[in-house]
Amino acid sequence: MISLNKQIFFLGILSLVHAAYSAAQHRSYLRITEQTFDGLPFDILMQGIVSLGMSMYGILYSAGDFKEIRAMEDLGLKTLETLHNTPSFYIFNHRGKSRNWLNLKNSKNTTVHYIWVKNHIVL
Amino acid sequence: MADNKESKETKFKDLVSYSEPALRNNASIVEYCRTSMSALSGCTAGILGLTGLYGFAFYIFSVFVLWGLILFKAGHLWQKYFLNRHSLLTGGFFSGLFTYVLFWTYPFFKIIISYI
Repeated sequence: MISLNKQIFFLGILSLVHAAYSAAQHRSYLRITEQTFDGLPFDILMQGIVSLGMSMYGILYSAGDFKEIRAMEDLGLKTLETLHNTPSFYIFNHRGKSRNWLNLKNSKNTTVHYIWVKNHIVL
Repeated sequence: MADNKESKETKFKDLVSYSEPALRNNASIVEYCRTSMSALSGCTAGILGLTGLYGFAFYIFSVFVLWGLILFKAGHLWQKYFLNRHSLLTGGFFSGLFTYVLFWTYPFFKIIISYI
């Protein structure tokens, strides 16, 4: 589905083309009746300007969102853990891998083991 | 205590750092809109049959409309997205004007208008 802003843009362009057609019709009418051209009728003029405004609105809103230029706003949302996060240094081959934790799961204090597994094995 | 906090806050406000990717992103959006606006308003001026100074006045009118639309999109906190307002109005005025004149005097519309 095309977004609303793009629909507004296409509607504006269509309306502009229609205004062009109306203007051309008006000019041919003037030529046939041998009158001189002194400006278009008010409705065609308004249709042209309004459709221009519509397509400008559609373009502006489909161009993308503005971003916050102050760097502190962006950095303020991040925690110290995010800044210190180094994915290249993740280690998955540690002692937890060799433990047979599936057997531990069947024992009595399952929740403790689950938490232990969650924190130490499954990253 | 309160004074200390206040002075810290004012210090923090004085020291503003801008993120360059965000600035470039906003500038490129404005540039894109300006080029499209020039082309479209040139087409409209050609369709409406504006000649002479009326055409240039129409360009200035559409520049102001685009400025208003950008500020409307940015909302009341335009300082969040742009460094200043007047550079949105005047930046790229002449490059937009050349695009405008190209589409304004584009022979396509003249041909259509003369043959229908």
